[in-house]
Parts: sequence; structure tokens; C-alpha cells
Amino acid sequence: MTLFDIIYSGNDELFARADKAIYDAIAQYGEDKAVAFPDTAYSLPCYYGVTGQKVGNLGELKAALANVKETLMGRKPRLNDVFNSGIASALCAEFLEVLKYIDGAAPYELPRYGHLSDAMIRELGVPLVTGDIPGVAAIIGTAPTAQDAVDLVKSYQAQGILVTLTGGVIDQCESLGLKTGFNIRVIPLGDEMQSVIHVVSVAVRAALIFGNITPGDLPGLEKYTMDRVFAFVNAYGPLADEVYAYGGGAIALGFPVISNEDRYRVPKSLIYQEDVSKFNATSLEARDIKLKITNIDIPVAFASAFEGEIIRRGDMQVEFDGSRVDCFELVHNKDASEVEDHKIEVIGPDIDEFEVGSKHSIGYIVEVAGKNMQADFEPVFERKFHSYLNCIEGLMHTGQRDMIRIRVSKDTFNAGFRLKHLGEVLYAKVKSEFAAVVDKCQVKVITDPEMCTKLRHELAIPMFDKRDERLTTLTDEGVDVYYSCIMCQAFSPSHVCVVTPERLGLCGAVSWLDAKATNELDPQGPCQVITKEKVIDERIGEYEDVNEAVRKFSQGALEDVSLYSIIEKPMTSCGCFECICGIEPLSNGVCIANREYAGMTPIGMTFSELASMTGGGVQTPGFMGHGKHFISSKKFMKAEGGIARIVWMPKDLKDQVAERLNESAKELYGIDNFVDMIADETVVTEDPEALLEFLTEKGHPALEMEPMM
Amino acid sequence: MGDFKLTTIEEFEAATNRLLETGAKVGADAYQYRVKNQTPHCKFGEQGVCCRICTMGPCRITPKAPRGICGCDAHGIVGRNYLRFTAGGAATHSDHGREICHTLYCTAPDGNYKVKDPEKLIRIAKEWGVETEGKDIYDLAHEVAVLALGEYGKVFGHQNFIKRAPKHTQEIWAREEIEPRAIDREVSCAMHMTHMGCSSKPEALIRQSLRAGLADGWGGSMAGTEFSDVLFGTPMPIDTEANLGVMVEENVNIVVHGHDPSLSEMICEYADDPEMIAYAKEMGAKGITVSGVCCTSNEVAMRRGIPMAGNFLQQENVILTGACEAIVVDVQCIFPAIGPLAKCFHTKFVTTSPIAQMPESDYIRFSPENAGENAKAIVKMAIENFKNRKPELVHIPQMKQKATVGYSVEAIKKTLDTVTNSQVDITGTLKPLVECVKSGVIRGAVAMVGCNNPKVRPDTAHIGLMKKLIENDIIIVASGCSAQAAAKAGLMDKRARDLCGAGLKRVCQLADIPPVLHMGSCVDISRMMILVSDLSKDSGWNISELPVVGCAPEWMSEKAVSIGNYVVATGLDTFLGVDPYASGSSEVEGLLQGGIRDWVEACYTVETDIDKLVDKMIDRIEEKRTALGI
Repeated sequence: MTLFDIIYSGNDELFARADKAIYDAIAQYGEDKAVAFPDTAYSLPCYYGVTGQKVGNLGELKAALANVKETLMGRKPRLNDVFNSGIASALCAEFLEVLKYIDGAAPYELPRYGHLSDAMIRELGVPLVTGDIPGVAAIIGTAPTAQDAVDLVKSYQAQGILVTLTGGVIDQCESLGLKTGFNIRVIPLGDEMQSVIHVVSVAVRAALIFGNITPGDLPGLEKYTMDRVFAFVNAYGPLADEVYAYGGGAIALGFPVISNEDRYRVPKSLIYQEDVSKFNATSLEARDIKLKITNIDIPVAFASAFEGEIIRRGDMQVEFDGSRVDCFELVHNKDASEVEDHKIEVIGPDIDEFEVGSKHSIGYIVEVAGKNMQADFEPVFERKFHSYLNCIEGLMHTGQRDMIRIRVSKDTFNAGFRLKHLGEVLYAKVKSEFAAVVDKCQVKVITDPEMCTKLRHELAIPMFDKRDERLTTLTDEGVDVYYSCIMCQAFSPSHVCVVTPERLGLCGAVSWLDAKATNELDPQGPCQVITKEKVIDERIGEYEDVNEAVRKFSQGALEDVSLYSIIEKPMTSCGCFECICGIEPLSNGVCIANREYAGMTPIGMTFSELASMTGGGVQTPGFMGHGKHFISSKKFMKAEGGIARIVWMPKDLKDQVAERLNESAKELYGIDNFVDMIADETVVTEDPEALLEFLTEKGHPALEMEPMM
Repeated sequence: MGDFKLTTIEEFEAATNRLLETGAKVGADAYQYRVKNQTPHCKFGEQGVCCRICTMGPCRITPKAPRGICGCDAHGIVGRNYLRFTAGGAATHSDHGREICHTLYCTAPDGNYKVKDPEKLIRIAKEWGVETEGKDIYDLAHEVAVLALGEYGKVFGHQNFIKRAPKHTQEIWAREEIEPRAIDREVSCAMHMTHMGCSSKPEALIRQSLRAGLADGWGGSMAGTEFSDVLFGTPMPIDTEANLGVMVEENVNIVVHGHDPSLSEMICEYADDPEMIAYAKEMGAKGITVSGVCCTSNEVAMRRGIPMAGNFLQQENVILTGACEAIVVDVQCIFPAIGPLAKCFHTKFVTTSPIAQMPESDYIRFSPENAGENAKAIVKMAIENFKNRKPELVHIPQMKQKATVGYSVEAIKKTLDTVTNSQVDITGTLKPLVECVKSGVIRGAVAMVGCNNPKVRPDTAHIGLMKKLIENDIIIVASGCSAQAAAKAGLMDKRARDLCGAGLKRVCQLADIPPVLHMGSCVDISRMMILVSDLSKDSGWNISELPVVGCAPEWMSEKAVSIGNYVVATGLDTFLGVDPYASGSSEVEGLLQGGIRDWVEACYTVETDIDKLVDKMIDRIEEKRTALGI
């Protein structure tokens, strides 16, 4: 059989299965029975992406399958038909999978995930753009041995590559006790081959969410995934025709397939690698994935995949807890003569001198010197510590400044991890990521309790206070320039963020100071200076120079933006925003939902549905993606009256922003405890009337304000 | 795809018609008028049944007069004419090759000509058993040049280069007794066989046609290609532009035309000289633009990125722009019409070769020894002619396309290296291409070659065929005027990948190539022979089994017949869009279009309906795939 014949046969087989399954389902439930994947605004995502048509019930699903047959299942001996048949196979798999979710069923149980939510995809947006997740590996089939499977997964994990598992490899990983989960970026999908569709669905939704690809624009979709989604497939042989058919679809989307089955080879697309231990290197080369090399001399892995790792009390060797004892982390700008490069000093007892499970003080000071170093960059570097330290396998870091907590796992301790390694990580990362401003860097790790107490109060806290003072003077009016941020253009080609002191990037990851430092590091890079000399309209925050910059950086896709309005020329979103706000007409206010919130909002839409209204660099008046910190900003929808418009937020989000939001409200309107006036899901989830009632009872200021539209 | 769009035949023709209006103003003649005067063509000539080999005739075969005076029938006459046609082509290509070998002999570290690709020279020397260790590269060049010149008259044995063919192919040649001996011998032998009273047996005549062809393709042409690479550099992908719009109105325009790159390389060198550019400015121009026509153009385009003004039937157009200061020609395919036409304008018509001397031209005899002086004098003459332009006659059609050219076999392998995976593949082979073919991503390849011929609406066949082939995932390698047709249309722009089927499109994307690969001039069809030989070696399939065919849809010259013969004799089915004057003999036609398959595993297909021609090629490629089980 030729390669094409194998793929056609796999596609025919899948079609027959889908056809029968839909027929059976209709016989059981009737054509009107609703079908949908949970937590997505794009159901069924792949079919919607490919055809532009939504499927809501079994009758429509049947029609969709007929459409697949008619439009995608040509049988000419040409790659075009093969690619389309591959896509058709993926769609058949999607149809088969969605049937499992009828009646809100939960067909997958952890560690298997099945369908992945929109929120997860949005969460992956930033690390994919920054290269912290340099690629996505879809591993499918059963490895020659369980150890082979675990070794491969771990090798990707150590590189920060997101891994999905399909088929026998899941059991193999489980059998050797490999930890899996979305938080550590190893995601078992399901045991059946068809569950691989759930990672395809991620790629398709990435194109819709971030790329603003018009649903139904298959060539556009294929171009987007090929150019911007660095995924690939590792398929363990023997491969059934079905898998070849999925492979055809993967290759159509630009994802090479690397296999240990030697039947056909296509350069850069279908690659035979007999030695499964070389799957990693072969795949990275096939997909042209360049890793950000951080060679850090520590005894455990260092990769962004470990950022979300949680260390439970039982697994913990030792803990440093700033809420109980004196702890702090600090970047301190020093004179070059005071810094000896790469000096790592541990002052006080090391981890091996502590009892298992005990709590201690820790303070670490990263002292830097450089001709271009500015004190303003200290907090920029310091905020990165959270991410740097969490990349260490078996180390968990939370909080910041003098409210930090660090846990080191037993495994990591046993692997030989000591405090000097913590210093090595901080040194290596600060030195490599801020090379343009940091000439020399040394690290002091202090565990001596008395010294921690002394330094916390005499050095750290005064420095934090000084910085806070500086931050309060950092207002949009107080600075001469703003910065562009187009880091996301790798993913969302026409989106531009304008970052101001009071409006950080919508992803929450880039503040004005971050942007300033990024600009300093690479003046031609993603963050460039935007002057703000030519005011057009102070009220909505529109500037001629800002518009010019936005036009330039969006390659003409965007004409003009305002900084402070969500109605008039609102700023666009790439898709990886932390929060989205949307107008709730009855209350004359806005509801905000954060990515983590999966429930309904009084607007009648979930976060995913709200999020799908915007993104991809398109202006959508009435909806705006933004960072969490922007909520308490005095510039938050200032044109429409500011934060007083906020009528609803999930409770969890409210708690996170309460303190600063209350402060701002007090300052702006003289209102005490404003957050208490804002409704949340414990009061009302989707009924606007109930929301209005609550707001009336609380005397919420939005009710008295001018109509927004 | 953005703003990319192919230039259409209609646009080509509109531009030509506008130029003919200029011509009409000055009373210029043009091939379009001469075609009318010559139509209808002589039927006896077209069928190949006219014999004027001795003075008893001329004899013409008709049903009433089935034999010539000597008694030769139509089969003998058509066969003899066919062989003589071949001999003309083989002689022409090979003599061009000989000039190159001679130029190689004239290289010196401080001379006009240097060895630009010593690596390739050493490779060939080793292949030919020449000791290279510790030898000065120029000594080696001279030694190899003498050996190469010896190939033309070698006393015993066969052409050195045939050892490059796959074993199976060499065995066929030996079995069929068509291994080419000395190049000159095969041409002489052809002339001898066709003398009055020698061969009149079609099998013998066609067999010698194949042999003379092989002496060209695996002898003279291959020497021309290989030693041009040694002298001027092995082509690597380079960006250029094509069509008349490459001429620049404000500049002194020098157009090089012909086939031998020796002179044009020198012209390009001097046109870049700051002293000459300053002189041009002094004379009122903004600079100097060298562009090319025909295969000289192909040679300098693939080595220097010199733009291509046009192909064979566009040679008069460059003068009709009124902006051509000098058209400098070397050998082959130069219309004698250029002289009188140039006289209607200010254009200098400079002939340079004793081989191609024409009335109404400035003859500046060129030789490798005085190449620098010659070239300088010519550039100067063109500059000084700028002031003689008649502004009212100047019109350059603003029509051009971008093209990436320069795909020598070496360049193709280098390009394929970029799609290998160092974890599993070796580099420097054609294996990635074999994998694409085997898997069906690419269905096959067509070598598109040959000229223009007014019998076919110029360029329609080239462009039409290519468009349909690439839509069907068939990759094209092109040379000569066919390559220029592709470039003019935009098919050598990498963006043309969007016109391909999904398979070829993906390959073009991954390898970053256009769907039509420019392999050079007409002597460079020898490159295609190396390509299929290496494909055969890397795939394990015989050349005749490869899903690859040759095609010359608009051919016109004797050289093309010689080429066709060596392509077929190498094992590739070859499709012609113009009949090779063989229709007067069922036996000769039967051999060419069928019988020779028993000898060399390939034969000709002649089909003047271009739509049918392309379908036949696609069908043949698919048949070959089926036979291979892929």
C-alpha cells in the first residue's frame, strides 16, 4: 500500500466509526440532543475552525459528518486530498469524542484530561510567546518500554516543552510513578488514539483565539499553525492506519511526525527514527525548535514545565516561611567595586543541617552592578525570582518581597540540592536575561535567623518602602513616554499593547518598568518607546503619537486606540489576558471575569465565551482584556467613570484585588470598602435582575452614573 | 500570496505589439512579418522527405515518386535528415564546450580568466584519474583542459563522463553500441553515414543519432557545463529579475546574447568597474545595466544574478525598446535580422566570434587572451553610444518578475540538505527528493527545456505546461529559453509555490525554493543527466523507472534534437510539442516514438496539442509510479 492509500484507509475507517456512533446516538437520544465540549466558546473547536460552522446538537453533527465526507474526503493521489483526509480524520475523532460528553458527562478522570478548556489555552499563551514553552510534543502510542516513555517525557519536561500523552504511554508513565498534570505541563489525554484530537483542538483554538483566524479559513488556519504553533508528534509504532490518518492531519497543520516505524519517510514531515532515545533531538530539529539554553549547574532539572509544580507537606524536606519568621528576597544595585561576579555565599546553616519538615528563615540578596543598571530595574528583576525559582524541579516558591515561602522537596534534597544551588539559579538567570544591564552579579543566601531579622528590617523593608514611594509617583501623567509591547505578535500578529505606568500589559506580565527594562536590554526589541506629546482627547486617553505607533507596530491593522475607554477605540487583546470585562447593560456597569473562573457571569457568558468576543488584535467595543492589577488602577475605564463601574467579579478575584481597589475607590470617590458593593458568584451568578437588586441594596455608585452607551 | 501575480501571455503580447508599433515607425522588420512571408512552409521539408545530399536531385518523395534518383526511400531520407540534424546540434554544443575547455587552458592567476571553483576542478581531475596532490591549481587546470580537449578526438575508448551514469545505463549503452567515442568522431561519423551512398537503413541512422546525441550530452555539453563552473563558479541560488522591464531607461543598456559565457562574464566585470560607471555618468547616463537574452543570459543570471531581458523570440524586442546601446553576441541562436534592425535604431550590433559572423555588425574578434581589452572596448562603445539614443523611440515595457535561479546539481543537494535531520539523515544526497517522490508528496519531475518557435504561440506551451504540472505536484527543472519563459511569467518567484498542489507547495515551503528550478542554459541539460543519474543511484531505481520525463514543447534548433536524443538515450521519455521533420517516414517515426524503447528503455512522444501533451506527461509519470508500486 502506498502512504496515501494507508491514510485514505485510516480515514475511511474513522468515518465509518463516526457515522455509526452518530447514528446510534441519534437512535438513543434523537436529533435535537445537545452536544458540546465543556468550557469552550468554540464547540466543536476543530470543526468550527475548519468549516466556520458551529454544531449544537446531534442532527447538526450528522450534517457535519456528511459535510466532512463531501468536502474533505477526496481520493485523488495528491497530497491535497491526503491533507484534507487527515483533517477529516481529526474531525471524525472530534465527533466521536464529543459524543462522550452528552448530558454533561465527565468521560475522563484525572490524570486523564480529555478535552482541555479555553482557559487553559489562554494560560499557555504567554509562556508559548516568550519561548518558556518552546514547543508542544504530542506523544502517541506505546513506547518499547515504560522507561523509554518516562525518559522521553522527562526530557521534554526539562526543556519546558508541553507534553500531551495519548494511548498506552499513559499507563507506562503511571506504572513508573511519573507525575503528570496541566500544572507541570505533562497532560495525559486519553487511552484511545482518537483522544489525540484534544491537543489538535488546542492548536486550532490557539489560531482562533490569538491569531484571529476566521473560522472556516482552512488555508489560514494551516498557515497559522505551521508558522506559529511549534507542535510535533512522536508516534510509537506499530502504527494503525488510523494513526497514519491523524498524522496526515498533523502534517497538514505543519506538525512533523517522528516515529520508530519505518514505512514511509517525508523530509521534515514524517521522520523515521529507529532509536526512541533520540526522539527528542530529532523532533526539535524537525520542528526547528530552538531552546533558550540555560545551563545551570544544579543537581535537578530546571525548566518552565516545573513552574506550576506543587509540593505537599508530606513530600517536603524543608520550608522557609515568611509569614512565620523573617524572610525576604531582594535585588540590590551596587557599585561595581562592591560586586565580585559569580560569587555565591551561603551565610548560616544549609538545608542538610535542618530537620525534615522544619520551618526556617531565609533571605537572599542578589547584588548587581552595571553601567546601564538603574535602581528602577531592581523590582523588575526581583519579580522574576518567583518564576526562576519555580523552574527548579522540586522547589516551590510563592509570594514576593518579605512575604515569601519556599518549599524544597525530599527528592530534590536527596538529589543533592543545597542553598548554593538556589544562588546559582538566581545568578545564571539574572546574568543571562539582563545581560545588557548587568555586568556583575553576586548572590548572598542567608539562613542565619538573626541576620535575616536584621537585614529584613534594616535593609529590605526600607528599600521596599522607597520603591513604593517611587511607584506612587509613577503615574501616566508623571512620565514622558509609554512603551509598546508586541511580544505576543509571534502568536497574535496584529496585536499591540500600549503599556503605561497605570496600565500594565493585559497579560499581567509586563508593567511599565518591565517594558522600560526590556527596551533598555534590546532597543529594537518588542518594547519600544512611544512618545505622548500630541494629545487628541485627554478624557479617553488618545494621542496622535500613540496612534502612529500602534499603526506602525500592527502593520496597519489597527488605526487608533484609546488608553482609558472600553467603548471608544478600546485597546485590543492578543488573547492571553488575565481578565476580561464586559458591559452589563441593566446595571450600567461592567462585570469582570478572570481566567481561573469557570462559572457563569451576569452577562450570560462564561469567561471563555466573553474572551471569545475579543482577542486576536481586534477592537471590540464593550469588551476588554486586561491584567489583574489594572482593576485597581485609577485609569481603569476612566473615560466611562472608572472603577465605580465594576459591579461584579468572581469572589476569588475580588479577594486578590480588594486592598488596592478599596484604596483607589476611597481616593477617587471617597467610598469606604467599595469591594463590598461589588457582587460575586456567591450572591448572583447569571441573573441581571438579582444583580441589580444587590447593587441597589448596597447603593452601588454605578447605578447613579450616566448610561454608558 | 499578497500582491504576487503571474504575468500572462496576453500581457507579453501587448508589450510586444507596443514595441512593434515603434518598429513600424522606423520601418523595422520583425520575425512576426517574416513568418507570414514564409507561410505555408514546404510540406516536403516539414515531413523530412526532401533530399539534397547530392546534386542528382533535389529529390522529394511523393506517393507517385516513392524513391529518390539513387533509389533511397522516404525512410532512408528522413533518417538521414534526422541524423544530420542531430550532428548539427551535437557539433554546435560540443564546439561551445571546446571553447570553454580552451578558456580553461588559458587560465592564469593574474590572467583574464581564473579558476573560481578549484574544488570542482579537483573533483573532476580525480574522477579522470589525474594526480592532484601537491599540484598547483593552474597546472592542474591546464592538465585537465588538455585531457578535456582530447575527448574531442580521442583515439580509443569512450567519453570519460559516461562513467557518471548508473551501471545499468552504461550497460545499455554498451549493449546497444551507442557508447559515445570521440565527440568529433561521432559528428564526422554522422556526416559520413549520411553521405550519398552510405546508410539508408533507419535503425542504423537513428542508432547513430542517439550516439551522436550522447557524445553531446555526456561529452561536449557536459564539458561546457563542468568547466564553465570551474571557470566562473558553480551556480548557487541567487535572486534576479526577468523580462524587458529589467532594462533601465536612465542607464546605458548592454544586452548580451548567445551561449558562451566567456565574453559576457568579462562584460559584466567591466560594466561594474567604477571607472566605467563614472564614464557612463559623464556621458549623461545614471549607470550601466547589463541584461541578457537566450542562454548567455542564463549563464550570467545563475552565476551573477544578471537580469534576463528575455528568451529567443524576444531578441528583437530588446532593440525595439530604443534603449539598447549595444547588443553583444557570441554564438548560436542569433537572428541575422539583428544587424538590419539595429540600423533602424542607435543600437550597436557587436559580433565577437569567428563562428558567428554577420553582415551589418561591428565585429570585435574575441579571444580568451585579449578578453579584458575586448570587453572594455565594447562597454566603452556602448557608453559612448548613449548620447545617440532617439528619445522619441524609447519605450521599455515595465514588465518584470522576480526569480531565484542557480540550481546546479550541487545547489540542489545543498538545498535538500536543509530539509534533512542530522539525527537520522546523511547530507549531500538527493535522498530527501527520493523520499518525497516515493511517498507521493511529489508525483514526479519534468525537465522542461528548449527554445521558442513561432509555430507555437510564444511561451504559451512552456508556461501552460508548467502551471498544470505544478498544480499536479510535479516539480520542474528547466533550462534554456524554457527557463526564461518561466522566469518571465513569475514561476521562478518563490511565491509561485501558492500555485502548486499541496504536495509541491509544502516541499517548496520547507526547502525554500520556487516550484520551477532554473538549472541553466541549454548545454546545462547535461546537469539534468547528472541529476537523474544521482536520483537513480540514491533511489535504487533505473533512470527509465524514475517518474521523470523530459519535454521540449517549443523547440526549434538542431541542438534541441541532439539534446532530445541524449535525454532519451539516457532513459527519459521525452515529449515534443513540435514535430522533428520525421512524419514522412512511418519507420523512423515508429522508431523514435516506440522502437527505440527496446534499445534504451525510453522514446519520444510528439504531440502538438499542448493540452494533450501535458496530460500525456502526467499519465506517463503516474504509470511509472504504478510500475514502481509507489
